[in-house]
Amino acid sequence: MSRGPAAVAFVAAVVLGWLVWDTGADPVRLARGLPWIADFLRRMMPPDLEVLPSALTGALKTAEIALLGTAVAAVLALPLGFVSARNVAPAALFYPARAILNFFRSIDTLVYALIFVAAVGLGPFPGVLAVIAYTTTSLAKLYSEAIEGIDPGPVGAITATGATRLQVLRFGVLPQVLPLFLSYVLYRLETNIRAATVLGFVGAGGIGFYLQTYLRMIDYRAASTALLVTVLMVMAVDALSSRLRRRLV
Amino acid sequence: MGDALPRTAAPPRAMVEVAGLRVVLPPDTVALDGVDLTVLPGEFVVILGRSGAGKSTFLRSLNRLVEPTAGSIRVDGRAVTGAAPAELREIRRHIGMIFQQFNLVRRASVMDNVLAGRLGYVPMLSSLVGRFPSADRQLALDGLAQVGLAHLAARRADTLSGGEQQRVAIARALAQSPALVLADEPTASLDPRLTASIMDLLRRINVERGLTLVVSQHQIETALAYATRIVGLRRGRVRFDGPPAAVTAAVAAEIYGEDDA
Repeated sequence: MSRGPAAVAFVAAVVLGWLVWDTGADPVRLARGLPWIADFLRRMMPPDLEVLPSALTGALKTAEIALLGTAVAAVLALPLGFVSARNVAPAALFYPARAILNFFRSIDTLVYALIFVAAVGLGPFPGVLAVIAYTTTSLAKLYSEAIEGIDPGPVGAITATGATRLQVLRFGVLPQVLPLFLSYVLYRLETNIRAATVLGFVGAGGIGFYLQTYLRMIDYRAASTALLVTVLMVMAVDALSSRLRRRLV
Repeated sequence: MGDALPRTAAPPRAMVEVAGLRVVLPPDTVALDGVDLTVLPGEFVVILGRSGAGKSTFLRSLNRLVEPTAGSIRVDGRAVTGAAPAELREIRRHIGMIFQQFNLVRRASVMDNVLAGRLGYVPMLSSLVGRFPSADRQLALDGLAQVGLAHLAARRADTLSGGEQQRVAIARALAQSPALVLADEPTASLDPRLTASIMDLLRRINVERGLTLVVSQHQIETALAYATRIVGLRRGRVRFDGPPAAVTAAVAAEIYGEDDA
């Protein structure tokens, strides 16, 4: 028994050592690179306010992508959440639903964006589709966990009144989970704003497109404006959303 | 179907007829082991027994919240065991149920909780969007008035005290216009003063509305004070069945099994 922790520590050390070697992680190389980072930062100053209008336009577009994508996904995830909750879905639905969700949830928003840009062309629209695709499956998972965590008491009580299965869901389950659902949607909106800022890198619209263009043109002062706008927007949405979420729970 | 069979016995028709009821809870707990019981209309039956004796399982079998393993159950002449889903819902809407933990939807209003008692009667689609016919709203309000809480209709259920929440649960059962009310340890979460007020309320609906009550209790004094008939359960079997006056110390020992406690 007492050899357990030592053995675990030894194995962990070996694995970490191999990871450092295999990824070429090298503190010395990082130290040598630091001046370059400093130079990069120096060249970003001061931010070029000439591009502020286009940065704001891009940021707004990013927020729109996240908002529309999250809103559509919040609705699409509802039926999926119920059919993948163990305590309300029949086994015949539950197992395939879980499997399909787990498969699609392993694909990130950015990968979806690449696919949708190829399918429908450049612009914010493939970005919206990518946000919908990822958020639907991830919200469905969160919804189903909320449903699995409900108090079964009221569900039994509603069942005992002679209610149908749908009525039991509507009156016994939904009132218990709705505040949680809304809280998860807001949380997803926060993360989607962040995720949507990089969607532009692959041609799916928004602030990321401007950021990438400025970097390619080696216009670091313009890029820093775009970055600052992004940071401020993400912080603003986070603050607003977490305030709303506190009121829900 | 079974109703067409000729009846040999004279009226009154039984409200509850249980024969050979056996319930095995997963994985292999024998909760009820061959229970036979007939309850007549208007009776106030208290099922007595210590926790784990099978009281809760018995009550939950009567409306099939728990699925019986063997045996038959009829309520108000209708076969509960073997009933198809739609028929089972039809049977359930005539059976009110009250729980130890009240089992209200805590975030919903008192009125919405009581309205849930009408779900078996109202049109399904409009109920899903929260619309209830005015006649059903009136029945819900009547139920609330009967338990003395009409003034709290708009409050959120979880802002009420425990005693008030149990009254709301009783109003929900009354809103079903039930023939039979099941109460599973309705006072176990309440202090003695509230216990008396809830049991008084149950007696009142038994006397005034003529409803049949089957109530489980682990407290013998409360059981004897309110029941018209006592059924003692121990280890999933009926060990006593008779009027409260017949419950002697020896009977209590038989039900509670002090010998092996």
